[in-house]
Amino acid sequence: MLVLAALTAVVLSTGSGGQSAKLIPAASHSKSSNPYPLHITTVVGSSVPAKQYGNELSRQQGSDTDDGAVPGAPPAAPISPVSPAAFAGPTAEYRAYAERWAATLAGEVPRLRAALAGGGRAAAERQWGIAFSDYLHLGAVYGLLPGTLDARIDGLPHALPGPGAPNLSFSGLHRIEMGLWTGAPPASLVSWANRLQTDVGTLQRVLPAVQIDPLDYATRAHEILEDAQRDFLSGVDVPWSGAGVLATAAGVTATEEVVSTLTPLLEQRDGTLLDVNNWLDRLQTVLGQLRAAHGGNWPSLGQLTLTQREELNGTMAGALGPLSNIPGSLETTGIPVIPRIPASK
Amino acid sequence: MKPLDRRHFLTRSAALVGVGGVGAAVGATLAPGAEASAPKSVSTANGLTPDLNVRIPFDGPHQAGVLTTRQDQATFVALDSIAPNQDVLFSALEALSGVARTLTQGGPIPTNRIDDPPPDSGILGPVNAPDSLTVTIAFGASLFDGRYGLAAQRPRHLTAMPAFAHDELDPYRTGGDVLVQICAGQRDTVVHTYRQLMSAVAGNLVIRWTIDGFQSAQRGPSPHSSRRNLFAFRDGTGNPDVSDASLMNQLIWVQPGAGEPDWAVGGTYLVARTIRMHVEFWDRVGLLEQEQMIGRDRVTGAPLGGTGEFQDPDFPQDPKGKRIPLDAHIRLANPRTAATANQRILRRGYNYNRGVDEAGDLDQGLMFIAYNQDPVRQYATIQNRLGPEPMVDYITPVGGGYFFAPPGTRGATDWVGSGLA
Repeated sequence: MLVLAALTAVVLSTGSGGQSAKLIPAASHSKSSNPYPLHITTVVGSSVPAKQYGNELSRQQGSDTDDGAVPGAPPAAPISPVSPAAFAGPTAEYRAYAERWAATLAGEVPRLRAALAGGGRAAAERQWGIAFSDYLHLGAVYGLLPGTLDARIDGLPHALPGPGAPNLSFSGLHRIEMGLWTGAPPASLVSWANRLQTDVGTLQRVLPAVQIDPLDYATRAHEILEDAQRDFLSGVDVPWSGAGVLATAAGVTATEEVVSTLTPLLEQRDGTLLDVNNWLDRLQTVLGQLRAAHGGNWPSLGQLTLTQREELNGTMAGALGPLSNIPGSLETTGIPVIPRIPASK
Repeated sequence: MKPLDRRHFLTRSAALVGVGGVGAAVGATLAPGAEASAPKSVSTANGLTPDLNVRIPFDGPHQAGVLTTRQDQATFVALDSIAPNQDVLFSALEALSGVARTLTQGGPIPTNRIDDPPPDSGILGPVNAPDSLTVTIAFGASLFDGRYGLAAQRPRHLTAMPAFAHDELDPYRTGGDVLVQICAGQRDTVVHTYRQLMSAVAGNLVIRWTIDGFQSAQRGPSPHSSRRNLFAFRDGTGNPDVSDASLMNQLIWVQPGAGEPDWAVGGTYLVARTIRMHVEFWDRVGLLEQEQMIGRDRVTGAPLGGTGEFQDPDFPQDPKGKRIPLDAHIRLANPRTAATANQRILRRGYNYNRGVDEAGDLDQGLMFIAYNQDPVRQYATIQNRLGPEPMVDYITPVGGGYFFAPPGTRGATDWVGSGLA
């Protein structure tokens, strides 16, 4: 508990700096007068008359800007947008990284198939973890693969398209996960590994053509770990294996790659990069300690002690704060001017 | 004569005593649908919590708790029936209405011999103040399966809630034979009611899932300003006007001649959706992006480009989404065209805050409640239209269900659902 509290304090202190206010369109939100004035009527335990206290507070409020800045500090100036062309290098670099991991995955799927055919559950589970981790290392290409390819490789039953969408059965890594951790004979899952091999082959073919939109590449710097926190640390997307730590570790590596490709751009902006790298290092340290504490293997979520859980959850929460400042630091457009509703309405 | 065990006899006796006692300590009575929750302060001049003596009638052509102005506190509880037969089921439902009527009307708590367990837990003291309490009772499709011979009486549009795109419904938090919505001004009133109701149906109706909700305080700027949800946006701005009886007959209450069973006329469909909000993730998104996902200004609630919460967003003058993006929540939920006018629903949701999840994230969200005349024409049409909205990344619907809230009761011996008997 102390650990969590301490981490929260750090998040608050890093999050309340000037950077976080950058995206807020100061022009449309600076209001000439505060529409929600505060009038204190009673001050418990104070000899200052409520009316006087209220006036003092009102004066303080009046000097605040409405854009989240610290009272007394000058309002954060909007920073100039980054040219979309500046993302061409970083996205190309990331695509090459993703292609390397797809090749690694393509090499591991036959080993998974062989382990399943061999019939030993422990060996098959270990190989499954390697293949699953390899796929998650692709990270920032989420949502960019054509058609149903991602769902065929990594889909879960609840996330499959609903009625009206193309008919898609449950297959891929999680289909094998379900079988392995619910007692199916490993050899009975070989056909799923065969399908996976076909789909991973397709993945390798399509990756070189995947376009990463410069406008949302920076967003992916925090969304990979937003997803990891929501879906993996919660256990929701690893329902049978509980392999949330392994999956999170893969997401951290993918995030480091995104940050690394963006480093030349971030270095020219503000203090975000230093903060992000400190937190990512800390996250890697915690993950490394967890692995060491479990004999060099990734523990399942259920194997974590309370303290280990707190350290992992808390460090993730800490890292996500500065990561979420990256899109604002690398904003590609100025603040849009929203047209007014015509006066007749 | 329906079979009654000792427990039922006691609670029914308690109900009778309660009815006899009404009047002594109770103040104002509100017409159904009237303003029930005045702005509250910490305490009145005499140091007592204000507004405890506001009473909302239980009986009437429609159940209370539908058009009633949202009270501040709520508990929702879904129950499954383990009653062995129809008679026992009906006596349990009768007990539910009996206790609900007594508690909503307020009065001195019943007493009995001092060596017997008291019939009221007593947590509100010797007099139950009504505190704007409403208890709204609704039935799920599963009540109309083969168990109780009710299949032929199932309301026409009552089905199990379908899983919509992006839903991750947990069966332990979804569905139920009966849903009870308990709303009041104070949390202890709700907790007391919940406890008395569960005691009255013990052995026959068992809890499948439950959730507590709260309303954000009225922080203005006007008494009509919509309250905020936990994404900080005002919620319910577009609700139809509940004081317009003819509009309510078009949108909320089941009408004769609509192909519904006779007993269902005057009732309404209740759609319950437990929507987890990923609030940490939301809080890490720029304000501009938040506002564009919703389509409103976060402070005022005005449609983007406007100044007042209740201003018409004027979509026809913004066909390309330059002011309000085409996939913004308010645009998809209510396109405000003649063709979508009969799809409008009455939202009556509550915020929830129920601890922390495995990842250390706050488990906060919205207990979305909507009343509508036909969930296929109204709720499901809207929800399917919302499918592609960008906000889906920040929410996960995890439970709830479709229910039918029967018409109201005719008097002290009637009960919600008596039309089935």
